[in-house]
Amino acid sequence: MTTENFGNNNWGMVVDVDKCIGCNACVLACQAENNIPLNTQDRVERARSISWIRVERYWEGDFPDAKARFIPIMCQHCENAPCEPVCPVYATYHNAEGMNVQVYNRCVGTRYCANGCPYIVRFFNFWEPVWPESLRNHLNPDVTIRSRGIMEKCSFCVHRIRRETRKARSEGREVIDGTIQTACSSACPTSALNFGNFNDPNSKVSKMKKDKRHYTLLDQFATDPNVIYLAKIDADKKVAAKHD
Amino acid sequence: MQQRRELDQSYTNRKLLNGQLDTPKWWAPTVTGLGILVVIGLIVIATMINKGLGVTGLGRPVFWGLFITTFVFWVGISHAGIMISAILRLTQAEWRRPVTRAAELLTVFSLLTALVFPLIHAGRPWRIAYWITPYDISRGIYPNIRSPLIMDPVAISTYLTGSTLFLYIALLPDLGNLRDRTTGWQNAMYTVLSLGWRGNPRQWKMQTVGGILLSALMLPIFVSVHSIVSWDFAIAPAVEGWHSTIFAPYFVIGAVHSGVSAVVTMMALMRWLWKWDDFIRPEHFDALARLLIVVATGWLAFTFLELIFAVYGQDAPELALREMQMFQWPWNLLFIIFLLTGYFIPVPMWLFKRVRTNIALMFWTSILVNVGMWLERFLIIVPGLARRTPFVYTWEAYRPSAVEWTIFIWSFCWVTFLMLLFSRFFPLVPLFEQKESQVFTEDVTIGRAKVPAIVREAD
Amino acid sequence: MTSEATAHSHETEHHAPPAQVDADIIAHELIATTTNASKRFKTIAWVLGIFGIIGIIALVLKFLDQGSDSTKWGYVAALVSFLLSITGGAPMVAMAPVMAKANWVRPVTRIASIFSFAGVVTIGMLIPLVAMLPPLVTEGARRRTIWMEAPDYSPHIWSTLGLVLLFITGIMLFYSAAIPDFAAMRNHSTGWRQRLGKRLARGWVGTDSQWRTLRMRIGMFGTFYFLILVFVNFLITSDFGQSMVPGWRDAIYPMYHTVSSFQAGVAGIVIALWAARRQMNLQKYVHMDAFWSLGRLLFALTLLWVYFFYSSFIVFWYGRSANDIATLNLLVKGPMIYAFIAGMVLIWFVPWWILIWNKVRRGVNGMTIGAVIILIGLLLDRIRTFVPAWSVPPERIHEKWLTVIPETVYPSLLDVLIMIGGISLAAVIVMLMTRVVPVLSVWQVQEFNLLAKPIRYVRGHATLVAKPD
Repeated sequence: MTTENFGNNNWGMVVDVDKCIGCNACVLACQAENNIPLNTQDRVERARSISWIRVERYWEGDFPDAKARFIPIMCQHCENAPCEPVCPVYATYHNAEGMNVQVYNRCVGTRYCANGCPYIVRFFNFWEPVWPESLRNHLNPDVTIRSRGIMEKCSFCVHRIRRETRKARSEGREVIDGTIQTACSSACPTSALNFGNFNDPNSKVSKMKKDKRHYTLLDQFATDPNVIYLAKIDADKKVAAKHD
Repeated sequence: MQQRRELDQSYTNRKLLNGQLDTPKWWAPTVTGLGILVVIGLIVIATMINKGLGVTGLGRPVFWGLFITTFVFWVGISHAGIMISAILRLTQAEWRRPVTRAAELLTVFSLLTALVFPLIHAGRPWRIAYWITPYDISRGIYPNIRSPLIMDPVAISTYLTGSTLFLYIALLPDLGNLRDRTTGWQNAMYTVLSLGWRGNPRQWKMQTVGGILLSALMLPIFVSVHSIVSWDFAIAPAVEGWHSTIFAPYFVIGAVHSGVSAVVTMMALMRWLWKWDDFIRPEHFDALARLLIVVATGWLAFTFLELIFAVYGQDAPELALREMQMFQWPWNLLFIIFLLTGYFIPVPMWLFKRVRTNIALMFWTSILVNVGMWLERFLIIVPGLARRTPFVYTWEAYRPSAVEWTIFIWSFCWVTFLMLLFSRFFPLVPLFEQKESQVFTEDVTIGRAKVPAIVREAD
Repeated sequence: MTSEATAHSHETEHHAPPAQVDADIIAHELIATTTNASKRFKTIAWVLGIFGIIGIIALVLKFLDQGSDSTKWGYVAALVSFLLSITGGAPMVAMAPVMAKANWVRPVTRIASIFSFAGVVTIGMLIPLVAMLPPLVTEGARRRTIWMEAPDYSPHIWSTLGLVLLFITGIMLFYSAAIPDFAAMRNHSTGWRQRLGKRLARGWVGTDSQWRTLRMRIGMFGTFYFLILVFVNFLITSDFGQSMVPGWRDAIYPMYHTVSSFQAGVAGIVIALWAARRQMNLQKYVHMDAFWSLGRLLFALTLLWVYFFYSSFIVFWYGRSANDIATLNLLVKGPMIYAFIAGMVLIWFVPWWILIWNKVRRGVNGMTIGAVIILIGLLLDRIRTFVPAWSVPPERIHEKWLTVIPETVYPSLLDVLIMIGGISLAAVIVMLMTRVVPVLSVWQVQEFNLLAKPIRYVRGHATLVAKPD
């Protein structure tokens, strides 16, 4: 196994749903950062589109009073990930930094992990990825291009984490909170997505996590995710509740 | 009870070896035709591996579809052999005798077919060796034995090895018989294969002991294979229709249901094709149908329990899944066909002795059962995945593509092809079992009645 | 004739071929067993009876004392489940091979179907439990239940009715197979037994049509009994077990209970057969063949038990969802881990290693020891599941899954007395029934003798078994 020591980190994300405006900037940033193939019409129609992060939109109420609700969903990097024990080749496993990592080289494409995932955030490459000629030079050299037949999913932009931790180590210092940002969190205009180290008690995410609005998705599966959500503050609802 | 017929031993030999000693006329054209279909299927598989799984109808979240269904189906069929040969052997059911060989063959060939599906269904089949054999230990990673997908190949290959041995041990006396009746290259082949079988008491004893030991050893494997296949599904807590504790025995009893039905289908075909009316008799169909009534009813009870404990929890996602599986188009149609063909048409018919002893009716009802059992697997696997889950914008996205259907049909051609090929070289009804049953049955007179009796070992 | 019979009983038990005994002698000897109770038999019956009465008193006291706290009633629930397993399972074990036309089972059927009468204890124990059961609908909210829309009186009345129906069907099954024996008692016995035989034989003379009806009745009640047994197991396990625990969703549990009920039934039969054989000198009729086959059945059921158990355990253990974890914490971890390990060892591991030897299954004592061990293990297993299930306070029954594991309830003196009393009462009922009808079915033993005969075959001994349609 890997022996390189990256320090005592537990990477995670805090998603403030109250701040999300559903702009999809994170989706686009992720698409560009991680060399995700284009989601053409055909792929979307055949339910084969790949988007490591997605913003789910829900409508509440009927037409005149309808409200749009948004929630960004990405790999939850569960501590008790249902996808991990089922992989026959250890292509997905939990690393020492609290991340659920996908090893593309090992993956043989059984797609069992995808069935196990309650959040449905794992994607399969049904075809060899292709880009139009004009986009060829836009590919990120830090990120592997996934061939057909393997699974992929949100990596918490692991290449950025590695670059920054190595840099910090070579300079003989700790990683400064906030210097590592995932593509989505850096693109988020309202700071709804916040990335950081939960092991550092002074980091922004550690402080946000203590908010009483915090919850995790689908807790009935007891997956213990490293992505924490902060609930939407709904002013109308409270007033309505009082009138009841 | 119909009158037992005394069959002359040389007549038995002549009749049962007619596939090997003088091949029937229909054999060569049929095998050639099937061979062409098999080759076409292989070309389609090769194309799929070459192009990628995009040629299937799979998508997100339906990552498993027709291939896995068919895999489970064939593993289910493979339970025929051990059920008939081992369990009935240990419980000393006399009527099993002419059926054993066919059932064991079905086990071996259906397992060979079943094994193909998880392989071609993987994204990178050429890397599958990493799964099963930890040959490349330099990577520092052993296969993940916690994964049911590792337990699967282990269980299935053990089962395949065991069944092949079982088949071979039961074949030895017949191989000796064939060696004595053939010349030329065939004689040479049978000489090697029969391992010097002469039929002396010691060899018979070894053969019998070997058979009984293998029966007993195969039983746990028989149960474990389909249990492990069921755990592929049952251990996934996130898929509502899958996470049920009953899956293991439910799958096993369903497998016996479909496997024994497949044996009935095969027996009817054998009776017609080789005109073995003297050996595969209505009473055998009668006994198999009685067994099937019990198995099918047990299976229905498990189905009922599975359903009732699914809705018992009153969880919204589970209720939604069941709603979809049972009442929404097109699943509702499939569900009705599944219930009717899996139980409610065949089993009430089998309650009548006239049906049980009518070979044509038994043939068609047994085919119905397997239609139902295939649908059962489909209805477990696909709606479970295609259900609408929280936080996902795609669901119900699966329609099997032409490629998948072709490979599905290929599997049937392939099994039939292997069977017919086998029948050219080896007898499909065990001669020695046939003769043994003649020796071990006797009519006794009790009071006024003449009653068939069986010789049993004194205990 | 008698000298031949004694000669057989002196032979090594292992190779005794079925003795060829005259039909009249069979009738005489077997009917005589109803009257010649030994002193030891009477003493045991009295002791058990007293224990039983103490148990009843303890049950009443418990009801008066703890009639408002359902969390204390787990041990009574475990006892009901245990008694249901033995008394319900045993007749089934007798019926199944009859339908498969097995010869060895013929001498065993009577003793198996007698167990039905002890079902009355199960019903008696269930009544206070039913009163304890929390309602399905509280303040308009339905809890998890197999009674989907929660109709009136469910589950209280319907579960009880199911158990009563099982009891009645068991008696009918017993009676329909006992008519020729009542006729034999009418012909051979004296006193009240003869009068009883005369009344219950209902004009049995053994015509062809009477035999046809008899066989048809046995088949019908047997099938019916089997269906009801599975159904009642399903009712009791879900109403008195699973639905008491939020988040316990175990589809295999009713089947698991049914399988272990067969196991308990076979074990009970083995013990009863051992006692009857010793007590009433029935060596001539209870052949090794029966023990041999019961042994194989028990061995198979032992494996089936562990298979069903593991099937459910692995799904919880591997699934790891919140309710899976909570269920395992409740039922397997905590102090229950000891009952769990003991259950595994006593129901599966030890009996497996005892029963795997052909020598043990050909003998009587080894089999009986194995059966006793299995029954102890099964009782522990019932305690493991039902006591934690009942320890969940009714106000928490509506939760999605158990967030707090309740304290383990340990048995009080009353619980111990009730358990001993209930089991003794069941045993004494079986013992008393052997005073009413022959412990082995006369006509079945006669048939057994008729259909199997030892022959010489080629160079060895063999048995020729006739298989009439």
